[in-house]
Amino acid sequence: MNVLVWSALIVLMVPLQAVLLPYVKIAGVVPDIALVAACLAGVLGGELHGLLAGLTLGWVMSLFSAIDPLVAMGVKGAVGYAAGFAGRHVVYFSWPMLMLGIFFFSCSAGLATASSLTLNGQQDLWWTLRTVVLPQGVLDALVGGALYWVAWSRFNVERWMAEYRA
Amino acid sequence: MRMVNFRAPYNTGRLVILLAVVLLVGFLLLPAQLQGLFQRAGSPVGWVVSWPLRAVAGVSDGIADLWAGYVALRTVEAENRELRKELEYLKGQNSQLREAAAATDRLAALLDFKQQIGVATIAAQVIGRDTGNWYRTIILNKGEADGLRPDMGVVTPAGVVGRIVKTTRATSVVLLVTDPNNAIAGLVQRTRDEGIVEGTSNGSARLKYIPMLSDARPGDRVVTSGLVGGFPKGVAIGTITAIHKEDGGLFLSAELVPEVDGEHVEEVLVIQSPAVPSEGERLGTPKVKSKS
Repeated sequence: MNVLVWSALIVLMVPLQAVLLPYVKIAGVVPDIALVAACLAGVLGGELHGLLAGLTLGWVMSLFSAIDPLVAMGVKGAVGYAAGFAGRHVVYFSWPMLMLGIFFFSCSAGLATASSLTLNGQQDLWWTLRTVVLPQGVLDALVGGALYWVAWSRFNVERWMAEYRA
Repeated sequence: MRMVNFRAPYNTGRLVILLAVVLLVGFLLLPAQLQGLFQRAGSPVGWVVSWPLRAVAGVSDGIADLWAGYVALRTVEAENRELRKELEYLKGQNSQLREAAAATDRLAALLDFKQQIGVATIAAQVIGRDTGNWYRTIILNKGEADGLRPDMGVVTPAGVVGRIVKTTRATSVVLLVTDPNNAIAGLVQRTRDEGIVEGTSNGSARLKYIPMLSDARPGDRVVTSGLVGGFPKGVAIGTITAIHKEDGGLFLSAELVPEVDGEHVEEVLVIQSPAVPSEGERLGTPKVKSKS
C-alpha cells in the first residue's frame, strides 16, 4: 500500500478511536483499533509492514493519550512485527484462528504496557488483568475477527497471502 | 483481479530493521531525550490529525442530536397520529430550543465563572477521549497555538476537571481528577486540613494525608489549596463521603465524590496563570500607627 493510503488510514483512525469508539465502551473498555490494525498489517503484509504500522500508529495515538509515546510505539511495533512473523509461519489462516492470535497479542501488549507504567498501589496485576487486559483482548479479537471476515468475504485474501508467502 | 505485492524491497527491509534497532538503542540509552523529540515532532502531526478529529466530533454530535429527535418523534407518533406533523415540528423545534438553551446556560455559567475566578483563563471544548484504556483523559480543541501548556489546571463552574499533561499545536490532553495517576493539592473547606487528592481505580477520588486529629467528616467539601499546581485557591474538587483510618497509619484518608463528572463534560476553562497571592498580598499592607 502506498504511503498516502497508509497516512489517510492512520489519520482517520485517531477520530475513530478518540471520538466514536468511546460510545461503544463495554465494561469501561474500548477496543484498541491501532493494535488490531498493526496485527492485521503484520499478518497480511509481513513483518516490515507490521513493524512500521505499529510504530507509526503507536506514536500518533500517543499524542492523544496520557501514555508515554515510547511505550506505545514499542508495544505496537513489537505486536506488528510478531504478527507478521506468526502470519508467515502459519499454513492455513481462518478467522477464528486470527481472533485467537489477536487475543494473545492484545493480552501480551496489555501486560507489557502495564509492566512499563508506574502503577500506583490501587492498580495491581489482578486489577490490570480484570479491568483492562482481558476485556480489551476480547474486544480486540472480536473487532479484528470481524474486519478479517469482511475482508475474507469481499476480497481474495487467501490468494493475496499465498502470493505474499511465495 | 490485479494482485498487490505487499513485499517491501530488500533494501527497504534492511533500512526499517536498522531504524527499529536504532530506535530501540535510543530508547534504552536516551529515553527522556527521545521522548521529548517525539513529542516535539508530534506537534505538527497532532495539528493535522486535529482537523478530522474535530470534523468527526462535529458529525458525531449532529448524529446524536438527530437520533434523539427521531426517537422522540416516534413516541409522539404512537400517541397521536392525527397531530403527527404538528407534533413532529413542535417536538423538533422544542428539542433544538432546549439544546440551545442548555448550551446558553452552560456558556453563561462558564462566562460568569471566568469573571468570578479572577485569573486568566481560556475556554475550550471537549472533542474526544483517551485513545487507550490506561488513563482517564479528555482531548480539548485547543493547544500550544492558543497558549495552552502542560500542567495548566482545567475547571468548569462546578469545580476541578483535571490537569493538562500533553499538548500538540491544536489539541491538549487533560488527565482527569479521577485518574489514579493525578495528584492535586486540596484542603477540607471547614476544617482547613490539607492533603493530596488523587483518583481511584473505581472512578472516584480520595483525599490522602489528612492529619490524624482532623475533625473532617462526611459532607465536608474539599477545595483546591492553591499551594502547588495550576489551580487558584478555593476551586471545588468534591464532597467527602467517608473517612478511613488505616491501622498503624499516621494519617486519615477520605473518599470523595468529585463535583465534576469528567466523562460527560463538554466545555471547560483552562487556567493560564493561577496567580496565587502571596501571604503578604493576601493580608494587605500593614498600617503604620500614627504618633499622636
